[in-house]
Amino acid sequence: MAIAALWSNKLRTALTMLGVIIGITAVIAVTSVGQGVQSQTEANLQGLGADILQVRPGSASSGNVSQGSGSATTLTWDDAQAIGSQVQVAGSVSAYLQQTFQVVYGQNNTSTTILGTDTTYPMVNNLTMQSGRFFTADELTQAQSVVVIGPTLRDELLGVGAEAVGEKIRIQGQRYSVVGVANVKGSQGRQNPDEQAYVPLTNMSARLVGNNALSGIAVQGISVKVSAQDQLEAADFQITNLLRVRHSIYPARGDQDDFQISSAANLVETLSSTVGLFTVMVVAIAGISLVVGGIGIANIMLVSVVERTREIGIRKAIGATNQAILSQFLAEAIAISAAGGFLGVGLGVAIARLAASLFRFPFVVSLWAIGLGVGLSFVIGIVAGVIPARSAAKLDPIVALRSD
Amino acid sequence: MTAMIWMEGIHKTYRLGEVDVSVLKGIDLTIEEGDYVAIMGASGSGKSTLMNIMGCLDRPSAGHYVLEGQNLTTLSNEGLAYVRNQRIGFVFQQFNLLSRSTALENVMLPMVYAGISRRQRQQRAAAALQRVGLGDRMGNRPSQLSGGQQQRVAIARALVNRPALVLADEPTGALDTQTSYEVMALLTELNDQGITVIIVTHEPDIAAQTHRIIHVQDGLLQGEARNHGRTSYPAD
Ligand SMILES: Nc1ncnc2c1ncn2[C@@H]1O[C@H](COP(=O)(O)OP(=O)(O)O)[C@@H](O)[C@H]1O
Ligand SMILES: [Mg+2]
Repeated sequence: MAIAALWSNKLRTALTMLGVIIGITAVIAVTSVGQGVQSQTEANLQGLGADILQVRPGSASSGNVSQGSGSATTLTWDDAQAIGSQVQVAGSVSAYLQQTFQVVYGQNNTSTTILGTDTTYPMVNNLTMQSGRFFTADELTQAQSVVVIGPTLRDELLGVGAEAVGEKIRIQGQRYSVVGVANVKGSQGRQNPDEQAYVPLTNMSARLVGNNALSGIAVQGISVKVSAQDQLEAADFQITNLLRVRHSIYPARGDQDDFQISSAANLVETLSSTVGLFTVMVVAIAGISLVVGGIGIANIMLVSVVERTREIGIRKAIGATNQAILSQFLAEAIAISAAGGFLGVGLGVAIARLAASLFRFPFVVSLWAIGLGVGLSFVIGIVAGVIPARSAAKLDPIVALRSD
Repeated sequence: MTAMIWMEGIHKTYRLGEVDVSVLKGIDLTIEEGDYVAIMGASGSGKSTLMNIMGCLDRPSAGHYVLEGQNLTTLSNEGLAYVRNQRIGFVFQQFNLLSRSTALENVMLPMVYAGISRRQRQQRAAAALQRVGLGDRMGNRPSQLSGGQQQRVAIARALVNRPALVLADEPTGALDTQTSYEVMALLTELNDQGITVIIVTHEPDIAAQTHRIIHVQDGLLQGEARNHGRTSYPAD
């Protein structure tokens, strides 16, 4: 009965639903996308290793974590070696440079990330070899043009599964001999290690990027694998002190650190709270849309009560109680709102799904969000419907019958 | 024989701004069970107001109203709704059907409020429509029916909950002579089956088909007449 009345006014009902549809869609889409992104990032950061500290140049206050060009880079390979030898809880330490270059083999060329690093890189980053070997300490100190390539890069340049060791490739026009092919690690968000290539840090600094350190070899980051995960804080503390001494930074004098240390663990935390904040904001906006939607429903129900005064009179004349009229109009309001809610859930899930496949993060349907969305739409229907329904129920049968 | 309707000192006063308008000024009336009554009177004399009070759609400002031995003066709104649903059938001049519902759905409606199952509602509504000669028009909406047909749907709706009393306020007022007679024939048939029927009418030849004619003038009863032409005349 309630449905029939709504159906006969399709366009108006649809427009009335819009506010609720938009609100619920936003709630569902945002919470689903948020959860997908979060679980994705957590997985990525876990892949980076929970027992690894990242040391990067730049001060925490300026937020400058990018490997900025121009000014001198203060973090050097010597710092990395000092951490390795002087910080006791540092298990293994690896420094790196990183930049995107054109890589060519015969007719094939591609542009990919080249990592200039040291011989501890495989240990710190759990990199294993499919064929050949990683470059040696000698090759590192002599800055030789040798390269280890990721399996995907090998497939792209030399052909799928091709024997690559001994081949020559060009990076930025310079010849490099392939000494090894890494095993598959799998994509980690934006960066896919399987597409990367690794060259000696010394070589990259000298031949590919240029050195902008005042002394030693500038690096963009130092990865420190601590001996045990509960040593993260101790390592953080010791590395901070060591680098302050090495860089002549005296906080007591008001000096600022020219490096910052982060761990996967606190990255996860920051990211989660950022995503959480974003979710809260969008849900708040969605909440406003839902309130507006509720007001729209209340408004249309009030109009409907006026328009259908005579109908209400007829129903009362043949025996409808106030309660029956109240239930009828309340049911209509709930039907509008709940229909909007269900449509919103469907639309929200569809959007989340599309976003997940477009931006390649896992598609997570948040059941509590769906429950919340559907529940909320019922509540909105009840709240929006109660005043119009009561005014309908209270109509005097005679007054209602006389109206036209 | 118990009285179907017993009224004493019924007043109805409307307040229009600052002035009180007295529409019914003390009506004393008894209508026996099974009677067939016409209420006549000039326009604005208070006939509809009286009918609405009889039909529990409205409450008197003063006076006592007893229907089938039940004192309605003090009954709650819910109680009045129950009486309207179970004991009374209404027929209006303007038919008052739900325009978006089919004939069948309109006739089913009183049973919705009586809490009868959907299957039974359908069966009984179909039977009632057949009884008023509209078995082949059940799916039509009011706009797809003639005036006479709409009034017959309204009669089917009035009788479907097996009322004791059928009230018809100018049931033929919007109909031509031919269909008026058809509608009156249906109401007469209901009365023949024992239902008390009260109609409001302007037309003497319509009133002539009833057993008892009551005249209302200016909110008061102004005499009445017995129709001696009818054989099924109830005993006093
Ligand atoms: N709700 C109301 N408020 C004020 N006056 C009313 C109301 N309903 C009816 N009346 C007045 O009561 C009088 C009797 O009306 P009614 O019973 O409909 O007369 P009838 O049916 O005999 O033509 C009329 O003068 C009418 O204007
Ligand atoms: Mg009237």
